[in-house]
Amino acid sequence: MTVTETLAFSDEAMKKYEWLLSRYPTRKAALLPTLRIAESEFGELGVPQMKYVADLMEIPPATVFGVVTFYTHYRRAGVGKYHLQVCSTLSCALRGSGDVVSRVTERLGIGVGETSECGLFTLSKVECLGSCDTAPVIQCNDDYHEGLSLEDVDALIEQLRQEAGKGGA
Amino acid sequence: MSDSNSTVRWTLNGTEVENEAGMTIMEAAKVHGVDIPQFCYHPGLSIAGNCRICMVESNRSPKPVISCSERIAEGLEIKTQSEVAVDARNSVMEFQLINHPLDCPVCDKAGECVLQDHSYEHGPDRSRFVEDKNIRHTKELGPTIDIWGNRCIVCTRCVRFCDEISGTGELCVVERGDRSVVDVFPGVPIDNSLAGNTVDICPVGALISSDFKYEARVWNMDKTSSVCGGCSRGCNVEVETLDGFVKRLTPRENLDVNDWWMCDHGRYGWRHLYADSRLESAQHDGQAVSPTGTSGALHQLLSSSSSTAFLVDPYMTCEELHLVRSIANSLGGSTIAGWLPAAGTEETFPGGFKISADKHPNRKGAEHVLGSDLFTASADQLKSALSNGSIDTLVAFVGGDGFEGAGGEWNDLISKAGKRIVFATQQGSWCDGADLVVPATAPLEKEGVWVNEDDRAQRTRSCRSLTSNHFPSELVVLQELQVHMDLRNRPLSAAGIFRELSETSDAFSGHSHSGLGDSGSPLSQRPAAMSSEGGHS
Repeated sequence: MTVTETLAFSDEAMKKYEWLLSRYPTRKAALLPTLRIAESEFGELGVPQMKYVADLMEIPPATVFGVVTFYTHYRRAGVGKYHLQVCSTLSCALRGSGDVVSRVTERLGIGVGETSECGLFTLSKVECLGSCDTAPVIQCNDDYHEGLSLEDVDALIEQLRQEAGKGGA
Repeated sequence: MSDSNSTVRWTLNGTEVENEAGMTIMEAAKVHGVDIPQFCYHPGLSIAGNCRICMVESNRSPKPVISCSERIAEGLEIKTQSEVAVDARNSVMEFQLINHPLDCPVCDKAGECVLQDHSYEHGPDRSRFVEDKNIRHTKELGPTIDIWGNRCIVCTRCVRFCDEISGTGELCVVERGDRSVVDVFPGVPIDNSLAGNTVDICPVGALISSDFKYEARVWNMDKTSSVCGGCSRGCNVEVETLDGFVKRLTPRENLDVNDWWMCDHGRYGWRHLYADSRLESAQHDGQAVSPTGTSGALHQLLSSSSSTAFLVDPYMTCEELHLVRSIANSLGGSTIAGWLPAAGTEETFPGGFKISADKHPNRKGAEHVLGSDLFTASADQLKSALSNGSIDTLVAFVGGDGFEGAGGEWNDLISKAGKRIVFATQQGSWCDGADLVVPATAPLEKEGVWVNEDDRAQRTRSCRSLTSNHFPSELVVLQELQVHMDLRNRPLSAAGIFRELSETSDAFSGHSHSGLGDSGSPLSQRPAAMSSEGGHS
């Protein structure tokens, strides 16, 4: 969590934002995609980031706060580097998503909604990810990991740990 | 589709009725005396349609429709008491109560809670919900507003108020589903001059005024329909007292003045009634005068005066000012001037609400009774007369917080009068050395008429605070003085004095207390024929 004092969109992000504005009838209507930009620019949507977006779009910060907390898909502050979102809706549940959750809990020592001490992993249970044909599914950040067996879960965690290690985290 | 000027014939509970096109079912039904329950709907806010309690059966829809947003149409048949409608309301109530705590006995809203009323009227008598209720935050949202999240039914009235009326947008709904609750952005509390209204419009006990919290049960309080004296807007208010103590002020609906709202300056501006510096008994040369002896002392001083002047303040009612005028006239050629205690700034809001820069509730009225140059040329005249010592006796009315707000200029001037009689609400330097100090009523304690900045006459009524019970009001003292002066046989009520005023003043002619009623009337709009009114309101 490195929140610099001079929080600002890069030139490229700003261009994208300007383009977005041209596509929506009102400034406020462009809030959802603008938050996506902020998310990729800043890594997470905490209080300073939400405030930045509100000031940029000239809307009350409370409006941004309400929207960010309404959706589960935004990366809110305090989420680990890898956000493991386990689908727990019908198809995945029938194909053993409950076991997947238990496995992650067992391997990482964290419960649902918690972040591991190393700060790498956050575990969430989410509703349908729209990938019922390849159940059970974990969405890790933007990537889907489908048709998971428990061994696959172990392998995924191992792979993410190694990735993090390489990145010098 | 009919055009907006035409009327629409539709059927309400089996009776064919007619209404203006474009009205919602709820508004139209109300015209015909059918009340449909509501939580999220508020006439002053945009339609949200999220609470669903106003569902009614329609012949145009297989499912019940929400009457707050559906408009009436030709041939529409609406049933509000059919099995479908009753069942829909019952189910909505059951859902609303799933996570609502049963803490009415300790909730400040109890007794005026819409959820309580609707639960009693439309809800099931028991809950089938056996799971755990969820817990949401209880905290401060701002300096004057607290939230009990568990009680929130997420109607979003308060959120819409801050977006549409105050335009400050501090509130939002966070999270979703049964975790959703009203909140503010971290570090940005709700802090605007209209914030108190969010508590009034909260249909449950979620938003609570930290000022009124735990102060009183609402059913124990006495309510007085009065007018706020905070500025010349003259917002219509309800003053709620318990055992002679004001507990809170709430706005009274008046679409010609303040809609459903009032500002926080007025709402919390009543504590001066109980200030330590409040005067409660008359003092003659430092000796306490009995309440019944005040007018006698006053008469004694005035009858020995060679030249008398009156300095009035713009908190005084038209009736009090009328009495001052008649007393001054009988003394022969007395000067009357007015002074303006407070300077202020105007605040306007996107929703159209306005806080006036003129902080004097009856400046217009005083000008109507005593002349349009009361606060200008007459004031200058009195100032110079006082400076050159030509005033023998000065009767000064020092309302509000005294002369300090006006720059203290009058403080020095009034001491130049030979003798000084001061009517004051508060102890202050203006009382020092005065020959007679008479305790005065403050706004909210006065009985009479004020004229607001739009030339609208409105009745302000006394909330009978404990303080003002200790002494006779100016209205009484001045009339008793008139009795001493043989100008009057017996004191009248404020209504009686107002009738005298309306008979002698063009501006007020045709108006009466009963004609002004609870919501007042523009002075220019004279009632066609007034029924005769007795001397008592």
